[in-house]
Amino acid sequence: MGAGDFAVIGTGEVPTGNYPERSEFEIAYEVSRMAIRDAGIDKNEIGAVLTAGHIMSNPDNDYNTEMFFGRLPEAIGANGCSVVATTISGGASSFSIRKTAEGILESGETDTVLVVHAQRFSQFTANEQARYFAVAGSDVEWEVPYGMTYNSLAAIVTTGYMAYTGATIEQVAAVCVACRKWAMLQPNAMFNNKEITVEKVVNARMVSYPLTTLMCNVLGDGGSAYIMTTAENARKVCDRPVYVLGEASEYSHRTITRSVQKDPGKMGDDLAVTAKRAYENSSLGPEDMNIFEIYGSYPVISLIVMDSLGIPDERPSGELVLAGETGPGGKYPVSTNGEAMSFGHTGTGVGFSTFVESVRQLQGRAGAAQVEGAKFLVENCGGGAFMDCHFTVMGNEVPG
Amino acid sequence: MAGEKIDIETIKAMLNLSDEDLVKPLPIPTRWSQPFWDASKEHRLVLKKCSACGYIDHPPYLYCTNCHADEHEWVEASGKATLASYAINTFGVPFPFWVDLPYVVAMIDLPEGPRMISNIVECDHDKLENGMELEVVFDDVTDEITLPKWRPVDKTKRG
Repeated sequence: MGAGDFAVIGTGEVPTGNYPERSEFEIAYEVSRMAIRDAGIDKNEIGAVLTAGHIMSNPDNDYNTEMFFGRLPEAIGANGCSVVATTISGGASSFSIRKTAEGILESGETDTVLVVHAQRFSQFTANEQARYFAVAGSDVEWEVPYGMTYNSLAAIVTTGYMAYTGATIEQVAAVCVACRKWAMLQPNAMFNNKEITVEKVVNARMVSYPLTTLMCNVLGDGGSAYIMTTAENARKVCDRPVYVLGEASEYSHRTITRSVQKDPGKMGDDLAVTAKRAYENSSLGPEDMNIFEIYGSYPVISLIVMDSLGIPDERPSGELVLAGETGPGGKYPVSTNGEAMSFGHTGTGVGFSTFVESVRQLQGRAGAAQVEGAKFLVENCGGGAFMDCHFTVMGNEVPG
Repeated sequence: MAGEKIDIETIKAMLNLSDEDLVKPLPIPTRWSQPFWDASKEHRLVLKKCSACGYIDHPPYLYCTNCHADEHEWVEASGKATLASYAINTFGVPFPFWVDLPYVVAMIDLPEGPRMISNIVECDHDKLENGMELEVVFDDVTDEITLPKWRPVDKTKRG
């Protein structure tokens, strides 16, 4: 497929936060209707409904089962629907489900696909969440018995990154500060009413040295949806389509000890190869990017991904962040919705909110967080114990 | 370090946890990893080496991840390692591990090639340093399971 063959024409999103009364079903129905209205299409034009598998299902009324057995097309009255599918690859789900959507569009079965994510963590007790997340990111036989956690995984990578690159804990903390500044401009963000400072982040309660509570993401309930179509159809039905211009992916490992790149300071070097392919597939380069929509989930990952993106500046990623260059008004806007750190971590949904925010920015509809004149951006996601990475270059025009 | 320590009994009462919720998870050996745990029980550290290409897999898998051969042998490891990187857990860990706070989880490099996640024990947390030399110790956590763990070789870095 060539650059710019597929486009997004509408999005929907509910606020992220603690909403125990709001079921996944309600989120899914609501964001679907929002995306359909936003795209300005008739619901019966939707030929495929794709849902992201969510994590931590309620066995008594399992959302995943209902979705892959076709609840959603019935609930939204999508009478033209012929394909139903669920796709999940953890934090990389937003990418793998979009590839599924592109495959369906390419097959010619339909030219309109609805893609949905919904998650409600707050229905589970603290103990249930602790049990799930004790094993989600780690190997049950070789790591969990040692008291490994997602936070310690990120802490190990942070310690390694700092030792090998010379990045400081203040630079790591500055990522969280920039995320919060963006979230303050986002009505749907979980943490959008209280500024934080580097000093406050560094001095917060230590969770897993060197990470404090404010360097660890917080789980939230949320969801979003979008409508994807062919570029040809998009130009007919939408005055502001957003095109997928180039993509590239890499898988490394399940267990962090088996990571292809052994040096935590050089993980960005490996990702850079993949980012370069995404740029090449789009015939654009880092100097053309107006925004860098990074899915970090932890501040160190944001720095590592920044290292890989070829941001046209001599200064190291940590210095750029500490200088405020990645926050609102900076030269290189990064993660403009505040990302998992401040938008909230919705399980398989972080990549969806990053993608939906990317679309909003390129449609010029990102409200207070709007980066003026945004034309091209690069977006990324990844899953598991940093198992993979996917880059997508997007734009509101197809470069000639 | 910032933050007061919260007693596990307080959490237990607050969240209505059962005794079962405080039982530490143990490895459930697979058919192809059983020899590792059998050796560990005898306080020996062994690694799965492919007889065809010599590649050492850890975690071990059903067949060699390098050449897909079945034939393999279990070789004795030196019991030495270096610290690649670490974290010191101080809060927010799964409840069974709360009593151990603060504890070190680390990524360690074996001279034989593999990398492992384990605990660094008997160490002064202030003297942890990437690259430091480690030696294996065995923690008999139950009658059936022994976890290999690591401590600094340099006695002045032990806690």
